[in-house]
Amino acid sequence: MLDPAVLVQIFWTGLATSSYMVLFTIAFALVLKVLKLWNFAQAGMMAIAFYAMYAAVNQFHWPTAAAVAFGLAMTLAATLAFEVLGLRTLRARRSSSLLFFIFTLVCSEFTAYTLTLIFGTEPAPLFPEILSPTRMVAGIAVSNWDLLAVGLTAALCAALALYLRTTRDGQFMLAVSDSAELAALYGINARRTYAVTFAIASVFVCAGMYLYGSRTATIPTAPLQLMLFAVIATLLGGMGSVLGGALAAVFLSLLQSYSVLVIPSQWQGLILYVFLFVTILFFPTGMHPMTLLRRALR
Amino acid sequence: MEYVYSILILVGIYIVLASSFNLIIGTAGLVSIAHPIFFALGAYTAGVLAIHLHLDPFSATAAGAAVAGAFSLMISLPSLRVSGDYLLITSIGFQLGLLQVIKNLELTGSQGGLNNIPTPVAGPERGWIFSAIALAAAAAAVLLIRRIVRGSYGRAIRAMRDDELAFVALGRNAKHIKIVIFAVGCALAGVAGAIYAFYFQYVSPEQFEILASGTMLTMVVVGGMGSTWGPVVGAVLLLALPQAITFLRLPLAYMAPLQGMIFTLLVILFLFLRPQGLVAPEPPAPLSPPAR
Repeated sequence: MLDPAVLVQIFWTGLATSSYMVLFTIAFALVLKVLKLWNFAQAGMMAIAFYAMYAAVNQFHWPTAAAVAFGLAMTLAATLAFEVLGLRTLRARRSSSLLFFIFTLVCSEFTAYTLTLIFGTEPAPLFPEILSPTRMVAGIAVSNWDLLAVGLTAALCAALALYLRTTRDGQFMLAVSDSAELAALYGINARRTYAVTFAIASVFVCAGMYLYGSRTATIPTAPLQLMLFAVIATLLGGMGSVLGGALAAVFLSLLQSYSVLVIPSQWQGLILYVFLFVTILFFPTGMHPMTLLRRALR
Repeated sequence: MEYVYSILILVGIYIVLASSFNLIIGTAGLVSIAHPIFFALGAYTAGVLAIHLHLDPFSATAAGAAVAGAFSLMISLPSLRVSGDYLLITSIGFQLGLLQVIKNLELTGSQGGLNNIPTPVAGPERGWIFSAIALAAAAAAVLLIRRIVRGSYGRAIRAMRDDELAFVALGRNAKHIKIVIFAVGCALAGVAGAIYAFYFQYVSPEQFEILASGTMLTMVVVGGMGSTWGPVVGAVLLLALPQAITFLRLPLAYMAPLQGMIFTLLVILFLFLRPQGLVAPEPPAPLSPPAR
């Protein structure tokens, strides 16, 4: 018989661990929703964010806040260069989706190789110390990192929801995501909206890499694997639904955490791919609760 | 001399891989980058069958191609039911998932890789015999693809790629074509994998990770996507490039990332400056006038 305290502990740790996955998924799903782009270059953005912060902390010995600001600035610069110099040209040429896909993937690979050349392949965490002070709350171990991760993720999600609902740029993003052509007819500058979307995605990516890097050592190619989690969660949550993607990321993280009880650790990674196949086979439009409810009522 | 033979064998293997990958993404316009996993399926199937069942090389190669083709159906049937985008996601998921299985199975040599694959030819002739086999396989693959692409089926593939909606409206079955082309391309990658396994007698999971897709993509984009001879030129050029870099005598830790950087930078440059690649796709053969 399983101890309920163990189950609650796994839930809490799984929820905290899901935080950076939620942030990566939101960044991926938001770009997919507004730009209709499978942005595989996100792995490159993630790697740039991490290594910029890593260099600031470990080589320039800057304080954490300055390192995060530097990481964000570098990610923003790289992302906007990617949008302005790359994607705009492809859009102007009316390139096929295949070329967009190749470009985003190759940008990620180029970034991974460049960072490997600079930083090597030795796994490195953001800070020399990755253990965070822990306290017991109602019999559950809660670390400072857990609280920071859950708090930061919740705050960023709330800020995004508020931004989309209350600001002009947020409304423009929703309009462009519905129909870029129609939005243009109403005078909305799609180019600016795309740039704003990438800027918001950069904030989420940078926050996610800060949380991930302060807990785990990473290598330049690791973001490619992390990004695939975001892709699967986006698919599972229903393409075009940022909230659905975020919920799916939490669900998949918790599932992976609980699988420790029944599956040997070396096979845990497979759960993701099994879910991918199940989703594509049975729920190609995603497993958003409302979609499932509608399907059940039919 | 053995070094020259091994380069020739790699040229042959990569021509098969690049040409079959080009058939999938260039000619049919299917978005997938998981080609290395079908290469792996061919290599591991042939290796495991040769080690454990002492199967002869031809049957093992045929089995490698069949397994790669069969697995391609497993991916394409469910994903193409929905849309082309799903093929991309499913194929990447399949690649990473299967690599995880390979890394954990004892049968496939786990993390350390599959070694001691029996070689069908021993002695001083081994190098040139394998070179001849690899180059013959490359020639056969290119001719097969050329035959597919230049005939009426090729015209149907291009019509589907260029305007799928109109193609379907004319009563043609686009899904069927996509599944067949994907299976043919993947089976050819399986053949290349089997030749690789029998010559090098060792395969490891790291050779088939997502970054390996970048090499094949570079060969296709630089050579010329959608052109029959483009991937051949791309494969030869990009296999020559690492040999040129070795003359820089850089430490080993810098070689692989530098090579990767050059490859990916080439793809980016070609995408923007010469999207048609070094060898532009041939114009379609004119239709013969209807008999009066």
